[in-house]
Amino acid sequence: MSIADIGKRFTYKTQFEQELEEASSEFQRLQPSLNSLAPSIAVPPISQPTDFLRAHTDYDSNSDCKIRMAHGTTTLAFRFQGGIIVAVDSRASAGNWIASQTVKKVIEINPMLLGTMAGTACDCQYWETWLGTQCRLHELRNKERISVCAASKILSNLVYSYKGMGLGMGTMICGYTPKEGPTIYYVDSDGTRLKGDLFCVGSGQTFAYGVLDTNYKWELSVDDALYLGKRAILAAAHRDAYSGGSINLFHVTEQGWVFHGNHDVGALFWEIKEKEKSFNNVEA
Amino acid sequence: MTQPATLASDYSNEVAQEPIEHRFNPYTGIAGEDFAVLAGDTRNTSGYNINSRYDPRVFDVGDNLLLTANGFAADSAQLISVFKNQLEWYHFDHNKALSPQSAARFIQHLLYGKRFFPYYVYTILAGLDEEGKGAIYSFDPVGSYEREQCRAAGAASSLIMPFLDNQVNFKNQMDPASHGTEKRPLRYLSLEEVIQLVRDAFTSVTERHIQVGDGLEILIVTKDGVKTEYYPLKKD
Amino acid sequence: MVGKDCVAIACDLRLGNQSLGVANNFEKVFQLGHVFLGLTGLASDVLTVHENFRMKANLYKMREEREIEPESFANLVSSTLYERRFGPWFVGPIVAGINSKTGKPFICSFDFIGCPDFAKDFAVSGTASDQLYGMCESLYEPNLEPEDLFETISQALLNAADRDTLSGWGAAVYVITKDKVIKRYLKSRQD
Repeated sequence: MSIADIGKRFTYKTQFEQELEEASSEFQRLQPSLNSLAPSIAVPPISQPTDFLRAHTDYDSNSDCKIRMAHGTTTLAFRFQGGIIVAVDSRASAGNWIASQTVKKVIEINPMLLGTMAGTACDCQYWETWLGTQCRLHELRNKERISVCAASKILSNLVYSYKGMGLGMGTMICGYTPKEGPTIYYVDSDGTRLKGDLFCVGSGQTFAYGVLDTNYKWELSVDDALYLGKRAILAAAHRDAYSGGSINLFHVTEQGWVFHGNHDVGALFWEIKEKEKSFNNVEA
Repeated sequence: MTQPATLASDYSNEVAQEPIEHRFNPYTGIAGEDFAVLAGDTRNTSGYNINSRYDPRVFDVGDNLLLTANGFAADSAQLISVFKNQLEWYHFDHNKALSPQSAARFIQHLLYGKRFFPYYVYTILAGLDEEGKGAIYSFDPVGSYEREQCRAAGAASSLIMPFLDNQVNFKNQMDPASHGTEKRPLRYLSLEEVIQLVRDAFTSVTERHIQVGDGLEILIVTKDGVKTEYYPLKKD
Repeated sequence: MVGKDCVAIACDLRLGNQSLGVANNFEKVFQLGHVFLGLTGLASDVLTVHENFRMKANLYKMREEREIEPESFANLVSSTLYERRFGPWFVGPIVAGINSKTGKPFICSFDFIGCPDFAKDFAVSGTASDQLYGMCESLYEPNLEPEDLFETISQALLNAADRDTLSGWGAAVYVITKDKVIKRYLKSRQD
């Protein structure tokens, strides 16, 4: 995608005709193109489309905006001797309203790759499934599975092309390839792309870092690592109002990712409190 | 947009413009074992005015799918007509019925296609999945979606949703036989129970929300097709 | 919430600074004689307003040589809040109690500048008020016995709080009959 393509989305020089054209084009037969699979995204016909978006969708800059998008999260991923652990909460909130307690914040891009979801739900969901199609195309074209490095770069380049237009995503692309080993890339909508061992992303990230940093070791066994991931998200779910619901756990190995269950925070909290004799700020 | 402008700057003050007509009625979808219902009231409002007392907004779009898009009326009408139209094309191309999960993914693309100029609508899709079980998909205005057991959207969703959590997913309910140590086990509700719940929810919400009332239309989808039921609500 | 010769009043226990949960033992229902006062809103104002009303209720008791009745207390709340019409306390009070002379249950809610709403069935206040209205309106029925009233108000509060980010972290419920006050703590979700 070139800068010119993006520029085109802002032009509406043919004004009325083009609006008419666009309106009627929605009723024509869809012909998906393998090259992009990304739609041409409509923008409001005004001089500052991003202002329109901000005024109508950003809860922080306009508290009575009508279109509210889901936000708020805690997600984490870390590398250790047995692969990668990915753990996420499942709450979606819009303002103070809890829109859902059952969101899937780990997106299975393909059997080897996982993406996590923090920030605007639709951006993550949409572009990470889109990334899945791009990864599949890479496999078909090159007869080789895509590296985590390349996959994350595709996503990073894509969001960078939309920079300043209000995309909001903080994601971790996690995967295991023979030449890279277990790898985590942090990609966000500002265009940042970082390789690292341990990341927490979202409104509850500080709480998760607190638990993770005190207990993390490279030599962790798989069971201990799964427990640590779960425990760190639980701490964030407890203290952060915008995190909670349930915890989804994943383990990435050289054979691909393995799902390790959905744990409801309601019950899990009391179970862990009882077992660890922790959370003594809460009376039983 | 009300009229085409000749210059970009003509529209620059439009940033704060409000959509003209809001329809913000609540819609409720509940999935059962072999059915799904999608219900909404039939009042059409803009501001404090009632435009219509019978304006049903839950649509049977064909292929045993129920669809409602709730919010700004024009966007809602557009989304549904585009969906219906593309469904026709799908039939011509593939000669088979569109499954709910495909429909859901398609609606995501429709909504995300206007990511930077969103359709101001909260969408719910109801149907039966390939196992014949009820399926509810709910969407935010820009296309993130999720399959759920129940969902309320629109004006009084904040009033209805906790009630559904409690009565459909048995949240905070304990099994009386266990003396409060075990959760009440989940089960599918029967169609009669679901209709009673939906009617309870809407009569309650009619009391507390000005945009809700007049009539309740419930669409029920089963393997035998779509049935419509109408119950009057308070008209004040 | 009003039942048959009984009333119930309940609150969650969370004190938070925006998204950060700070304390989980912050009770928002206070007993003043046989009147119960629930206060939601800005925590510092909740405490100050409570102390203020405690003083006023005590002064009333000394002057009148009897405890203040819920009806009189509601009027006291209304006029006290309106005194701060242009620099208000940021609280949403609820008054509940049983009149010791007539034995009639009484509940009343206010906006933050003291406009009273004498409800016959239930009154709600706070960040989850929408959710509470939905729950109460659909679960409530008149003339409930104390135990049934307890179950109803608890279910209403717990399920409403579970749909609000800023509520929860435990709950306290008072069920008040003419000769007895039962206080129970509820075990709720901790997220």
